[in-house]
Amino acid sequence: MEIIRFVIDFLSFYTIYLMLSISLNLEYGYAGISNFGKVLFFAGGAFTVGSMATRLTILLFQGRWIDIEEYINTDVIWGTKVSLFFAQHPLYGIFIFLFLLVLAMSISALLGYIASYPAIRLREDYLGMTLVVSGELLRNIAKNYQPLVCGTFGVYVPNPFSWATGIFRDLLILFILLIFSSGIWLIMEYLLNSPFGRLLKAMRDNEKVVESYGRDIVKLRIKTLMLGSAIAGLAGGLYAFYTGSVNPDDFTATKTFLVWVIVIIGGAGNNLGAAVGALFYVFIDRLIAYYKHWIYLPFDINYMSYIILSIILILVIFYSPQGLFPEKPARTPVIEKLRRGKQIKSIKMQEQE
Amino acid sequence: MFEVFVDALAYSDVLILLSIGITLTYMTIKVPNFTHGDYASLGAYIAFTINLFYGIHPFLSIPIVFILAGLLSFIFYLFIFRPLSERGANLVTLMVTSIALELILRSLINIYADIMSLKTKIPIFRGFIFQDYLINTGIFLLPFSTIVATVTAVLIVSLLYLFLNKTKFGIAMRASIENPDLAKVLGVNVDLVYSISWFIAGGLAGIVGVFIPYRITANPQVGWDLLLRGFAASVLGGLSSIYGAIIGGAVIGFAEIVGIYLLSQPPINLPIAYRPSIPYLTLIITLLIIPKGITGIDFSKIKRKIVGGRNGNN
Repeated sequence: MEIIRFVIDFLSFYTIYLMLSISLNLEYGYAGISNFGKVLFFAGGAFTVGSMATRLTILLFQGRWIDIEEYINTDVIWGTKVSLFFAQHPLYGIFIFLFLLVLAMSISALLGYIASYPAIRLREDYLGMTLVVSGELLRNIAKNYQPLVCGTFGVYVPNPFSWATGIFRDLLILFILLIFSSGIWLIMEYLLNSPFGRLLKAMRDNEKVVESYGRDIVKLRIKTLMLGSAIAGLAGGLYAFYTGSVNPDDFTATKTFLVWVIVIIGGAGNNLGAAVGALFYVFIDRLIAYYKHWIYLPFDINYMSYIILSIILILVIFYSPQGLFPEKPARTPVIEKLRRGKQIKSIKMQEQE
Repeated sequence: MFEVFVDALAYSDVLILLSIGITLTYMTIKVPNFTHGDYASLGAYIAFTINLFYGIHPFLSIPIVFILAGLLSFIFYLFIFRPLSERGANLVTLMVTSIALELILRSLINIYADIMSLKTKIPIFRGFIFQDYLINTGIFLLPFSTIVATVTAVLIVSLLYLFLNKTKFGIAMRASIENPDLAKVLGVNVDLVYSISWFIAGGLAGIVGVFIPYRITANPQVGWDLLLRGFAASVLGGLSSIYGAIIGGAVIGFAEIVGIYLLSQPPINLPIAYRPSIPYLTLIITLLIIPKGITGIDFSKIKRKIVGGRNGNN
């Protein structure tokens, strides 16, 4: 039973980190925008769901907006009530779920649009500092401005699938997470192998050339950041629904860094690399979370995993800067033909021998 | 009100020392070094440990802390940043590396604090303060640590000024930061100069660590929190001159302490917990409006605009 729980939990976390790393790969690996504030957009989605899920449902179906003073102390009670309501009306639950995910994506895309203002104007180092600090600023505000997610102790998020019971509910949520993440994966693979993906790579390698061919760099950057942030916002919203609570202190700058570790170890500019990197990280992370009571250590083992990950990252940067799965040429029809031609040739050669 | 200013003064001293180091390392290899804050946490923990086991006053451990933190910074430069920048690693790779080192260092300090608090049965290892003496000046209470911090900051700034302007090595240092290729041609050992810059920068951040526990509870996280303020101060100072860093540190220090004091009074009544937002917002606004910082502003141009009239050919 514990193994099944572990696998479900592992896969659910994996889908969320997969979405985050795909979005960073789009921004850094393809478009060359150094987004050191991934957690800002992730938190944008999670905070949207956390602040709205209970109160929006109460507003829509009971016609009452709960005052913040009352809500801070009773968010768990109200949230449980909403969960029970969803258990009786599954369709309403699904409606709220989808509506809030769309809202989370739009709000994160809006944050991405705002972040594109410095991203167009500043160099990588200055942009990095701005986005790191923006993420910490949002966390500081969320911790203190209670109407958002009830301040320091966080907020309870009702379960929109509470009509399902037991292990079936976890499997259902996992199924939905898998659908979302594989959908994002397929869309991004299609998009990044299309002319748009090649345009992004061209912008990363040489902006002047792209501009001289009449493309608008500014618009391209805004589009990329909005798209990447929307995906991160979706991941954040799903994360809030999956974990059932939103706590501001969960969204530290370390989260951003972990996504960077995934992308750089896996290989920037290659979604397969992002997928394998995420698998690697989430497996270590979940393994430690589940089995840490088996070994006794006089300190929190999470620190150990951070150290190991960072050392692996530095080794990868030193000895294989392209990552484990280096960038490959885009799969254009011509290249596919060439590749197939080569295969046929080599088969013919073997036959002749 | 006097207490607020004294508090702001102590805080500015800390930020000035920190941002001088950040600016110094930024000028050498043009990378914002995220490890810098953790030298301060390291300094705080070294001073605390020495004080606990040998009873040596934290102020007396300043030289040891300076050397140890400086050595660590020097080692990072020698074995990680220099080889990487020689291989032509791009800016983002260097930044990610520095964040990785930051995480390693912070985790090590966390592990150290965990182990020590178990071993010594002193739970304050995860958050400690140093006992301060208060001197009654008649009007307000003046903490002794503030005097020491201010004297140290003034002393270090003047020593740095003399070093950079009056000694041959200091002039070589400025030359190799300004134009490394030209300095190399003239026979300056740029590598040595850069290494010493990193050593000094790390050491100064270590000294910051000795002063932190007098004002706020020091924990393994404190370096990261200070780092972002250090970034704000250095960016405000322009990241291109040590004097800019001094101005930036003073402005951010006073803006944070005096600012939150004024905002927490009626009619605004902002909770004090919003304090970190002030330097964070300053950093964002500075980068968006004057990315070159205070020292990058062309004051004569502004003066000409205000005065108007003779804006002829120059």
